[in-house]
Amino acid sequence: MKPDPPTDFYKPIFDNMFDGLAYCQMLFNRQSNPVDWIYLKVNKNFEKLTGLKEAEGKKVTELIPGIHESNPELFEIYGRVSKTGKPEKFETYVAPLSRWFLISVYCPKKNYFVAIFQDTTASKQILKDLEDAKTAARNVLEDLQVEKETLAYANSKDEALLASIADGVIATDRDGRITLMNRAAQKMLGRRFAEVQRKSAFDTIPLLDGEGNPIPHEKRPLHIALAGTTTTTDPTTEFTYYYMCGGGTKFPIAIKASPVFLDKEIIGAIVVFSDISREIEVDRAKSEFVSLASHQLRTPLGITKWYLEVLQKDNYINSAPKTVQDYFNQLAKSNERVLSLVGELLSVSRIDQGHVKDSPKQANIGDAVHDVVAEMQPLAQNKKVELRLEMKQAKLPNMFIDPLRFHEVIENLVTNAIEYTPSPGKVDVVTDKNDGAALISVKDTGVGISEADQKKLFTKFFRSQKAIESNPEGSGLGLYVVKSYVEGWGGKISVESIEGKGSTFLINLPINRTKNGGDNL
Amino acid sequence: MKKILVVEDELAYLKLLHDQLTAKGYEVLEAKNGKAGLEMAKNEKPDLILLDIRMPIMDGMTMLGLLRQDENGKNTKVIMLTNLEPDDKIVGKVVKDQPMYYFVKSNTKLEDLTEKIHDVLSE
Repeated sequence: MKPDPPTDFYKPIFDNMFDGLAYCQMLFNRQSNPVDWIYLKVNKNFEKLTGLKEAEGKKVTELIPGIHESNPELFEIYGRVSKTGKPEKFETYVAPLSRWFLISVYCPKKNYFVAIFQDTTASKQILKDLEDAKTAARNVLEDLQVEKETLAYANSKDEALLASIADGVIATDRDGRITLMNRAAQKMLGRRFAEVQRKSAFDTIPLLDGEGNPIPHEKRPLHIALAGTTTTTDPTTEFTYYYMCGGGTKFPIAIKASPVFLDKEIIGAIVVFSDISREIEVDRAKSEFVSLASHQLRTPLGITKWYLEVLQKDNYINSAPKTVQDYFNQLAKSNERVLSLVGELLSVSRIDQGHVKDSPKQANIGDAVHDVVAEMQPLAQNKKVELRLEMKQAKLPNMFIDPLRFHEVIENLVTNAIEYTPSPGKVDVVTDKNDGAALISVKDTGVGISEADQKKLFTKFFRSQKAIESNPEGSGLGLYVVKSYVEGWGGKISVESIEGKGSTFLINLPINRTKNGGDNL
Repeated sequence: MKKILVVEDELAYLKLLHDQLTAKGYEVLEAKNGKAGLEMAKNEKPDLILLDIRMPIMDGMTMLGLLRQDENGKNTKVIMLTNLEPDDKIVGKVVKDQPMYYFVKSNTKLEDLTEKIHDVLSE
């Protein structure tokens, strides 16, 4: 039998180990429940690992107040080991010390125990961080899934929305290749989206003019939108576009195209169109009705005109009392007003039906402007408005143009200028020329036109509030007729105006018209 | 005395033209449609015809076409007197059948018309 090693054999071993070591006596209450323990011996590292100083001889409840509440399992396990003598090993967190410990405990004799422990806080923290990271990753994944579902829903909702729009919708990428075509578009064009997907809209869906000729690419609203010079193309007013339907017949459309921007870059365009066959038919019927009604109206008005003329000429009126003469003049004036209104209605309905016959011949437009200004002088003087003509070029060239209509256009602008200029005011008619174009401007110091009204100024029957106030008799047709004629000659008309200061109308006419005579406007 | 045939279905026009032209010393014949006008033109050989376009039974353009096929009628002076603005169809016929003037009644003063009649008949 080997002799027990001396006591001081163990001491350096215990004091030099990394683990903490405590030799304790367990205390029980009367019901044999563990309630406390006394530290009998601790090694050097005990203090380092627990932070408890001079522990020997003290109860744990003195050293760590609250230990019973924070770690009841310690009492349970240590009690059990002290009683049964069976060693145990476990890991636990001691909140009052804010540390994790891995503890081995065994019983050297009944009611005593030895605890050997390591501080596992650092490794535990790593594990905990890992766990946290896992949880976070899981949460992100869950969020992503939710986001994905939301997006998918929103996407299908957008698609359903687009698909259900009653107008035709075609979307393209920045090269004009079709990326979307809604139900209405597929139905109107008689094309399935699958057939045209990723194909050029320019090639697969030709846009036609009234004669069935394809519109050149660079003039198509889609091209204009992709070029990015506009936010939305204006619907054309001068002529109608046509698309071809599945059966090969063409139908008239109203069409608008807008560029699609992402981060200020154009990534494509969206074209919206609708079939306007019905609107055009209604418009045609209306024009025909106006034309017919106007001709019928002209007969009684014309009869009245001549009878009034004869009455005046034959001295019946001149010898009548002043009141009768006044009344008579009112009758004649009224009759002329209705006649000119009917005339304008007829012009409009002919323009709308495309029946305007231009009878161009070589004419000097400078002389024509001069004549109009001379004819208008009495009207200007009557209104005490100064009417002046300035010809910046010695002579405007001859042009191939319908002289009567040109006269009508200039007369209309000058009459308007005088009409809407309060006395004392000025109307300046200026003719000029730049390369290839004759410029005629009519500038007044009149009531002016608001910016909103300027946009509608050249449409049929439009009259601004100001115009109605200062001249209740106008029909709102004059400028529409003017614009139709000027554009029919390949020219342009524009307006600049400041409310209360005056307006300037500018006509720009190409001098060498490529078309030959007799063209329909 | 110069003879003027007025072909016009509106009685008010007819009466006024009759009175005014008679007062200026012309002999005025009247017809109320193209068919009657053509008959009268052939029988009476007027110096000038004032011709409306829109009329019942036979319109003015048809009457003018038939008149130009007649040996006597092909050189008769004609002034179209109508309320129709000339459209493509009318312009085509006017070019072919050569009336001397084309007046839209409601755009024309009666005085200007009678002056023109005087000029045409003085040629």
